[in-house]
Amino acid sequence: MPPTAGLGLKPQHYAEALAAEDEGLWFEVHPENYMAAGGPRLRWLEAIRARHPLSLHGVGLSLAADADPDPTHLAALKALADRFEPFVVSEHLAWSAWRGVHQPDLLPFPRTQAALDRIAANIGRTQDVLGRTILVENPSLYLPLTGHAFDETAFLAELARRTGCGLLVDVNNAFVSASNLGYAAEAYLDALPADAIGEIHLAGHGVDEGGSSLLIDTHGAPVAEAAWTLYRRLIDRIGPRPTLIERDDDIPAFDVLMVERDRAHGMLTGAGACACPQPLPAEPADV
Amino acid sequence: MSELERFQDAFVAALAERTATPIAGWLPAGEDQPAGLSVYRNTIAKGCVDALAANFPTVARLVGDDWFRAAAALFAAEHPPAGATLLAYGEAFPYWLARFLPADDLPYLPAMARMDQMWTTALFAPEAQPLAAEAFALSPDALAAARPRLHPSLAFAWFDGGLPGLWLAARQPDPGEMTLAEAPQGVLIVRPEDTVRSRLLDAAGFAFLAAARDGASLGEAITAAADADPAADLATLFAALIADGVFVGLVPGDPA
Repeated sequence: MPPTAGLGLKPQHYAEALAAEDEGLWFEVHPENYMAAGGPRLRWLEAIRARHPLSLHGVGLSLAADADPDPTHLAALKALADRFEPFVVSEHLAWSAWRGVHQPDLLPFPRTQAALDRIAANIGRTQDVLGRTILVENPSLYLPLTGHAFDETAFLAELARRTGCGLLVDVNNAFVSASNLGYAAEAYLDALPADAIGEIHLAGHGVDEGGSSLLIDTHGAPVAEAAWTLYRRLIDRIGPRPTLIERDDDIPAFDVLMVERDRAHGMLTGAGACACPQPLPAEPADV
Repeated sequence: MSELERFQDAFVAALAERTATPIAGWLPAGEDQPAGLSVYRNTIAKGCVDALAANFPTVARLVGDDWFRAAAALFAAEHPPAGATLLAYGEAFPYWLARFLPADDLPYLPAMARMDQMWTTALFAPEAQPLAAEAFALSPDALAAARPRLHPSLAFAWFDGGLPGLWLAARQPDPGEMTLAEAPQGVLIVRPEDTVRSRLLDAAGFAFLAAARDGASLGEAITAAADADPAADLATLFAALIADGVFVGLVPGDPA
C-alpha cells in the first residue's frame, strides 16, 4: 500500500469512521485517551481498527524530561500497541511530566548535548519496551530560548541517527514555530533528513487571544493555505508519506474533515514516483 | 544537578509563579517577560479544565460554564494531574468543592461531583458479561446460598436529601424545573455493556448491594434488604438488579 492520508479519530465520529470505505483511509488516536480497563471507547477503537489501519500518537511520555520514561505509562502504551497493532507509534520532542506532576502540554527545553544524550536514551528505552521504533515529532515553539547547542533539525536528525527512530514532521508546527521564533519554515523543512521522515501532520492554528503576535497551534481550525504550500514543497522533496489531518478543538462534522483528508490524499497519490527510500512500514499489520 | 533538570525546575516555577524570572537565564536580553510563557500556561490550564469538564459534566451544567471553568482552573492549580492519562483526573474535586467558599450556597455540589465521578469510573471500568435471568433458575436453597459476584463497573452510594434525584434530573437532555426531594436516596450506576446506566436506589436495594459487596449470600442480602425496609417488594427488587446487569457470577454456597 502506498502512503495515504488519515484522520485524527474523535469520539463524535466513531460511527462514520467505522463505516467509511475511502481508499487508504487510516486513523490516529492519542493512546492516553484509551488507557482504560474497558468501556465503549476501547470497543469502538477495536471495531474501527478491524477495518482501518491505526496510528498511536502519544502526548504524555515526556521524552525530553531529564528522567526515565514513566514505567507505568510505558507499560500502558505497550499494552495498547500490542492489542491494536498500529502501523506507527509516535511521540513528541518535548516534556510534560516532571517530579510527579503532569503538565498537559508539550514543553520546550534547551537543545544541549546533555539533553540529546538523555532524550536519545529515553527514546531507546521506549523502543526497547515497545519492541519497535517510534517516530518523534517536532513541537510548536513559543519561547525564544537561548542556550541551544543544536538547531532543532540537527537535533532531530541526530536522534534519528543514534536511536533509529524516525521523524514525524508536523508542517503546521514548523510554520507556527518559524513564525513565532523568526526563521523560515521552508529552510527548516528542507533541512530535515528525508529518509528519516515516516509521517506528516497537517493541522490548523490560530492567533494568540492574549494579544501577542504569536501563532498558536490550536488544532482548532482548518489547515492554513500556508501549511498546504509547505506540505506540497515537502512531499515534492521527500516523496509521499502517510499524512494525517489533525483536529482536536472546535471539531466539525466528519465529512468536513474528510474534505481536508481527501485533499492530502490526492496530493499524495498524485505525488508521483518517489526515488527516496521508505524505511518505515506504511502498511498496517494484518489483523 | 544537570542543566536540563535546572531548566525543568525553573520552567515549572515560572508557570506557577506567573513570571519568567526563574527562566531568565535561558532568555535573550530584553525578553524578560515573553508572551510565550502565557501560551504554555494557558494551554496547560485548558487541558486540565477540559478534562474536568468532561469528567464532571453535571457539575458544569448546574453551575454554568463560566463558574465551572473558573473553579476548575483554581482546582487544577492546587491539584495538577499526576499522570498523562486524564480519564480519571479530578479524584479530589468533590472534596475540594466541599471546601470551596464560593460554593457555600451550593451545598449539593460535592455530591453531584461524587456521582459524576462514579459515572466516569464506571465508563472506563473493566468489561464483564452480566448474568442473564436464566442463570438464577436454581432451587430456592441453592439460590439463597449462592454468593453473587458484582459487575466491576458497579457503583452505588447513599446520599442525604434527594441528591441522587437531582443528579439524575440534571443529566436529562431537558431537565426542566429541578427540585430537591427531602428523603435520603441511593444511586446505582453500572455499565453492563456499552452504556452506563444510572437510577435511584431505595433503602432495601442499597442494603442488598451493600451486603452483597461485603460477601453475603443472596439469602443474606435479601434478609438485609427486608431489614432495611420491611415493606419492600423483594422479588421486584431482585429482578430489577438482574435486569440492570449488576451480577456477573454466582458462586455456589454451602447447602443450609
